[in-house]
Amino acid sequence: MTAAAVLPRVDTPRGVSVIRLLGAELRWVLRRPRTLVMLGVFALVPVLISIGVAVADSDGSNHGLIGAVAGNGLMLPVVAITVSLALLLPLAVAMAAADAIAGEAAQGTLRGLLLAPVGRLRLVGMKAFGVLVVAVLAVLALAVVGVVAGMVIVGRPEGQLVTLSGTTLGMGDALGRVTLVVAWTIGQLAAVGAVALAVSALTEHPSVVIAAVLGGLIVFGVLSAIPALEWLQPYLLTTGWTASADVLRDPMPTDGLVTSTLRALCYLAVGAGLTVFRMLRRDA
Amino acid sequence: MTAMPSVDAAPAPAGAAPVGAVAARAIGLRKEFGRTVAVDGIDLDVPAGSVLGMLGPNGSGKTTLIRMLLGLSRPTAGTAELLGQPVPTGIDRALPHVGALVEGPGFHPFLSGRENLRRVATMEPLLGRGEIAHAVDVALKRVGLADAADRRYRGYSLGMKQRLGLAAVLLLPRRLVVLDEPTNGLDPAGTRDVRRIIAELHAAGTTVVVSSHLLAEVEATCTHVAVLQAGSLVAAGELRTLLAAGTTGLVIATPDVDLALRTLRSAGATAYRAERDSSEEQAVVVGDDGPPAPELIALLVRAGVAVHEARRSRTNLEELFARLTEEPA
Repeated sequence: MTAAAVLPRVDTPRGVSVIRLLGAELRWVLRRPRTLVMLGVFALVPVLISIGVAVADSDGSNHGLIGAVAGNGLMLPVVAITVSLALLLPLAVAMAAADAIAGEAAQGTLRGLLLAPVGRLRLVGMKAFGVLVVAVLAVLALAVVGVVAGMVIVGRPEGQLVTLSGTTLGMGDALGRVTLVVAWTIGQLAAVGAVALAVSALTEHPSVVIAAVLGGLIVFGVLSAIPALEWLQPYLLTTGWTASADVLRDPMPTDGLVTSTLRALCYLAVGAGLTVFRMLRRDA
Repeated sequence: MTAMPSVDAAPAPAGAAPVGAVAARAIGLRKEFGRTVAVDGIDLDVPAGSVLGMLGPNGSGKTTLIRMLLGLSRPTAGTAELLGQPVPTGIDRALPHVGALVEGPGFHPFLSGRENLRRVATMEPLLGRGEIAHAVDVALKRVGLADAADRRYRGYSLGMKQRLGLAAVLLLPRRLVVLDEPTNGLDPAGTRDVRRIIAELHAAGTTVVVSSHLLAEVEATCTHVAVLQAGSLVAAGELRTLLAAGTTGLVIATPDVDLALRTLRSAGATAYRAERDSSEEQAVVVGDDGPPAPELIALLVRAGVAVHEARRSRTNLEELFARLTEEPA
């Protein structure tokens, strides 16, 4: 046995291409039954709201944001996203992040990835991509089904969107507003996902990740409800989560959208940093 | 080992051509979990081309040592080398050539065996995109899972899961294969398959590290052994040498035990009655410190002792293992 057969050649590839890695992760995320069930649930949300609105409309008992959807179908996707952002969307992202690292560790597959080898830094990138895909698909399901259900079930006044301010927007403008809220929501969910991924990197129990995210949301909600802690509000991710309704006003106020996006970026940076820090050291 | 065909005839990287190369090396490796010392300063060389059996009671640190060698776990102290690369900094260069089954197979329950294996193969840097499907088929056949390949992993028996884990190791020719308890959950046929696979790997020049608690398996397949006890290495080396060193002397089968003992002792040899099952004939054991064997036998025959058989006592691995791990040091 000579050394030649033992020592790896200097040109040994250190990992597969990034495209191949992301493709594999995408396949894995989309083959997972829970991802598909979850997307189905998100597709149902606008349908349920539209049916609720249509039923309530007939006896004239519509109020608030959901009431504003009545006879104004293009408002449905925005309302569906705003309603889901409170709990449903963060839950979906937390689930994806839980499976991404803690789930793989619990399954014993994280070892396999590291031994392949998928470098630890690349692994974080690949997993972050998988979580982001789930967030994007969930928001898109709400938006696309929302637009369709809005136009088919709720109906629209002459192809237009009547804003909360009372003005009307054309079809193109209205879809632009929907696109904006989709992008903004994905940004907020990326922040949730980054923090959830950091928790996922810390534990071997996927349920811990989901509990941490839901617990965090509830604690944030409680904190923001205490008047004495008003100074804390600028630091809470959830503070700006009503900003999505701003796209339904005319002219559109951008303050809330911009501030909450910057806040999300801070959470994203901290979450990503913690995830990388932990994954470079984690025993698997 | 020079007669072994190498996996590929790549030229050695400049400046790295030691004869008697080492496939994996532990230098003072130590791992603490809180106050527990799982591995306590182990130095170990795994010679290239060898089949090294890693033995030790449960909790002796076998898996922890393997995990540190593979860069899965950070040592508290000490360093490791894998295929000449420092762990963990150079490990990305070594790992494509390493196949490992550590702490049981890990796969996704909602995917079929084939899909799981495809996912693993996709991550292998040395497998081209176009080679994946074929490599997966071959590996599945090699471990006898071809018929169950399209069933969900969720429904696999323990033995089938273990076979799939082996298939992942066999996706491509490796320079080092690490198998942690590969026969767990396998039926006798599966155990034979593992033995066959190890022999095939060995014949192809692959270095194999196999941890097991099945001593007979290790004795049948390994060229080298490393015995761990409470986190320390108590013995390591060629299996042949270790077993020979454990030889206790000459066994002489005879019905005239008392006369034989008296004769031998008066000739200056240490002799005692062999402990035997009642079914076997009586025998005496003579130490190696006295006169040489032919002289002893001549003495006995002259003294009128009926010598039915005389042979070197050969320790088997089980006796060696028991002596190393059960007696206080």
